[in-house]
Amino acid sequence: MEPEATGEPLSEANAHLADAEQAVTAAADLDELQKIRVEYLGAKGKITALLKRLGRLPPQERPSAGRRINEVKATVECLLERRRRELREAADRPSVPTDFSLPGRRLEPGRLHPLTLVTEDIVRSFRRLGFAVAAGPEIEDDYHCFDALNTPPDHPARDVQDTFYLREQDRRLLRTHTSSVQIRTMREQSPPVRIVVPGRVYRRDTADATHNPTFHQIEGLYVDRDVTIGDLKGTVSFVFREVLGKEVKLRFRPHYFSYTEPSMEIDFSSPVTRRMGREWLEIAGCGMVHPQVFENVGYDPEIWSGWAFGFGIERIAMIRYGIEDIRKFYENDLRFLRQF
Amino acid sequence: MKITYQWLKRYVDFDWSPGKLADRLTMLGLEVEASERVGQSYDGVLVAEVLERAPHPNADRLLVCRINDGQGVRRIVCGADNFSAGDRVPLVLPGYALPTREGEKSRPIKAGKIRGEVSEGMLCSGQELGLSDDGEGLLLLDADATPGQNLGDYLGTDEADTLYDLEITPNRPDWNGVLGIAREVAALANLELRCPAVELQESGSPCAGRIRIRLEDPERCPRYSARLIERVAVGPSPAWLSNLLSKLGLRSINNVVDVTNFVMMEIGQPLHAFDCRSLARNEDGTATVVVRRAHEGETFTSLDGQEHRLNGSEIMIADEQKAVALGGVMGGLNSEITPETTEVLLESACFAPGNIRATSKRLNLRTDASYRFERGVDAQTVDWASRRAAALICETTGGQLRSGAVDAWPEPPEPRRVSLRFERTDRLLGIRIPPEEQLAFLERLGLSRRSRTETAGEFAIPSHRDDLKREADLIEEVARLYGVDRIPATPPRGGTGTHAYDRQHDVLAQARSLLTGMGLHEIQGQTLVSQAAAGVSKLTQKAALENALSADMDTLRPSLLPGLLSALSYNAHHNVGSAALFEAGTVFPVRDERIVEARRLALALTGDRFAPSWTNGANPGDYDVFDLKGRLEVLLESLRIQGLQWQNAGAADSLFQEEGRLTLGKQIVGRFGQLQSDLAAQLDLKKAVLLAELDWDLILARQAAPRPFKPLPVFPAVRRDVALLVDESVNHRDILKIVRQAKPNFLQNVEIFDVFRGRGIPQGKKSLAYALVYRHPERTLTDEEVSSAHFGIVERLEKKTGARIR
Repeated sequence: MEPEATGEPLSEANAHLADAEQAVTAAADLDELQKIRVEYLGAKGKITALLKRLGRLPPQERPSAGRRINEVKATVECLLERRRRELREAADRPSVPTDFSLPGRRLEPGRLHPLTLVTEDIVRSFRRLGFAVAAGPEIEDDYHCFDALNTPPDHPARDVQDTFYLREQDRRLLRTHTSSVQIRTMREQSPPVRIVVPGRVYRRDTADATHNPTFHQIEGLYVDRDVTIGDLKGTVSFVFREVLGKEVKLRFRPHYFSYTEPSMEIDFSSPVTRRMGREWLEIAGCGMVHPQVFENVGYDPEIWSGWAFGFGIERIAMIRYGIEDIRKFYENDLRFLRQF
Repeated sequence: MKITYQWLKRYVDFDWSPGKLADRLTMLGLEVEASERVGQSYDGVLVAEVLERAPHPNADRLLVCRINDGQGVRRIVCGADNFSAGDRVPLVLPGYALPTREGEKSRPIKAGKIRGEVSEGMLCSGQELGLSDDGEGLLLLDADATPGQNLGDYLGTDEADTLYDLEITPNRPDWNGVLGIAREVAALANLELRCPAVELQESGSPCAGRIRIRLEDPERCPRYSARLIERVAVGPSPAWLSNLLSKLGLRSINNVVDVTNFVMMEIGQPLHAFDCRSLARNEDGTATVVVRRAHEGETFTSLDGQEHRLNGSEIMIADEQKAVALGGVMGGLNSEITPETTEVLLESACFAPGNIRATSKRLNLRTDASYRFERGVDAQTVDWASRRAAALICETTGGQLRSGAVDAWPEPPEPRRVSLRFERTDRLLGIRIPPEEQLAFLERLGLSRRSRTETAGEFAIPSHRDDLKREADLIEEVARLYGVDRIPATPPRGGTGTHAYDRQHDVLAQARSLLTGMGLHEIQGQTLVSQAAAGVSKLTQKAALENALSADMDTLRPSLLPGLLSALSYNAHHNVGSAALFEAGTVFPVRDERIVEARRLALALTGDRFAPSWTNGANPGDYDVFDLKGRLEVLLESLRIQGLQWQNAGAADSLFQEEGRLTLGKQIVGRFGQLQSDLAAQLDLKKAVLLAELDWDLILARQAAPRPFKPLPVFPAVRRDVALLVDESVNHRDILKIVRQAKPNFLQNVEIFDVFRGRGIPQGKKSLAYALVYRHPERTLTDEEVSSAHFGIVERLEKKTGARIR
């Protein structure tokens, strides 16, 4: 026990502590709390006064009394701070709780057209394999669209029934496929060539659920030494797994295109096709570049070989999004466009 | 091309199921577009002879019959009454069921007693067998039908069959006959092809004694042959023939025409049968078949009754006086086979594909024959088809064939020879197929080896494979028979590609993402628009199509704006009145009377500036031209286009109320503005429509290099504001110009923060308020320095613009 003589300031300190604690708890707002702080800890505060009186105590009592008074001071500061936080938090809260179920204030972004989304996905997967994006004119001539691609002069594709011709002297045409870019690129670059060509093409089809005179194709062309059908299949598989999902199965079957030999069509099978009630759905055409095409662009078919494959963007988009009418892509209904 | 499973199996004895066959054909390149079950099987249904009929002792309406089922005698209780003893009727044996329709359950007949009388089977009506609508009495069969014969055999229907619709690629005309397909299957499965043997029974006098051929145009008709069958009795075809044709979707006509159609479907060679009596006779009694060009203006009535006016390019089959057929397309009404025909001239010929296509297209006359000639038929097949058809016509009509044929074939082609280096196959396919195996594949396809070294072989190409022209074609054959599906995929390899467009693709992607980020939706407009829509862009010359499909798509878009307007209008009609859209695409303006291509980027805004929200009330305000300009600024600055000028070009003959023009030096980067209100009204657009169209080619060409980093400021800035009262004619640009001219080197920035008209501002004037920010890069500016600089600028503005300081 401390000697009696030193009892006075100590008991005062304890009393102040009890009073301060009561006052702090009762404080209703920050102003009141500030007053309490001044009352006890201010320059003229009660606890400050006790500290000032320490000098009057006998020297041997000063350390223990000082320690105790400082303890009380720290405790009061602590109480004040705790209460200050409580009051601050209470003041932050609105009087009525906010209804967080109300909609936010949005900055609505525009959306890319679904055909762009699909094109970009395909382009991205080709680019991962080192393909460069290429483009060419939509107004073409017979040479780039047909002759150079080994399409014989009396081939039905060249018929005015199927191809749009321009009303002008040299009767140019709207390209019927992106393959004309193969010719333009190979005539300008020496091999190896590795391009992916997205673009608009035109066929003279009356618009209905599966036809629009304007539509989009994309095709890849790879020319190098010793390019094989195996390479073609490897790349096609890579691209379609990226675009249609990992679970997609592909089937290659022989077909005929004038600018490839051998030529194949590609069918795919996936949960989507099975939902459509079909095991296999035709998706693309492909083949090894015809030696005549190489000769037409000045590549030696004894040295170079290559593959090309191409498909319709609308078809992929229709399958991916379950769209049943191709005309939807060209109506530009915002209620449609906002969904992508 | 249609074939059936059973029919194909007659020519090649594969052991695949119908499903497996479809798979195999598809993987050979003969895509099965559709397949369906056809025909009916009549297991346990026999021809029976009624021996005796007697009343049922216990039922008035029933009869008890004794019948001969070919094996013995049965008792049958029967409810019909339309027959008598000696009639042939169908019988279903106990344990077998009546044929069912799809989805019906089959119910076998049981032997047992009916009203106390034993009945061992069931006699049937046509309706019960699904053969007719007659359910009243028994189906009465021919009196000479053999008791015990299976009803299917009697009717000539095969057992249940599968019909395939095959897509024939244009390079394989040999697949336009079932035999060509059988040949392919035989090669694939390494089986023998069972080509029907043709044995002709010719009667003495030679065909040439009655028929001559004068082939005037061997270019359009390389080969023309004919046979003559006399004493024919035209009538219905036997059941096997009419049934098969009906399965294949062809109408049975008579026993002559049906044979020609059958042989065409069998070997792919179209044939035509003429009534020989319709040919004019020469003095010596012969008739001359003239193969000539049509005369210009000649008219001809085809056997469908249509009259055609000819232009002289068509190839005609004629006698010395008149045409009797449009060669390769359709016969004439004047020479068709009728029930009275007794002499049949059987034509088997080969016509040039291009000419047939042109004729058939021009006359809008497409036939199974023209379809095949357009794709090319094998001249070598002409005679086999003729003999096969002649034999069958004799068989079905009882006719007699004159000996030999008349056959004009001036220049039989030499068989083509093609070499294959075995190693090229491996290099192209990426797998190793031993030379022996490659040889075997090709030989199975009918290619005959002419010579062979260690590394290569030379082959004679059979005439029906005109598509095999060079080495790559043979490699494809090897790949097909090997199975392209068996070639393993190899992972992608090789170097990276290059193309000038590659970078442009990224810039476009960046522009798209900037615009969507600013709330614009991307659209895709039609390239082909109507003249009227193209006219909206106020370009006088339009690019027209030679062969448009319709007037609403006969013009190439000269601008993207018609497409955007049509999208806005479409949406307005669907109650979407607010839209922010853009399109990036190619347009086709006419320059120097030539249609050219140009790339553009266009924007359209209309309606609410923000989606109405509970926080901003129902009307957030409509888009105006500065919403549009702000988006253009952000876009073009982000794409690093510098030095743009924004001008007002007025309204003369423009789409816009006032045409904003965006220039880079002398070049116009774009036009923008608010759509004239009468045009907006025409499109039912009620709110202001803001449009802009940018020259994307120019933007790509004028992108600046990325700017270097500017050090962050170290010393404080001082802002001074000034409000100027100026005439309406003074533009913001004028103020900036004057400030720039006066600019002390520590004026850092000038920004307009208010444009005010109204209270306190006289008519014809406006107040422009600017904030000028001064900052020195190396020290803190003193108040005096700033004041003196600011005062200098303000004074200059007053002097140059007549501005008053407010």
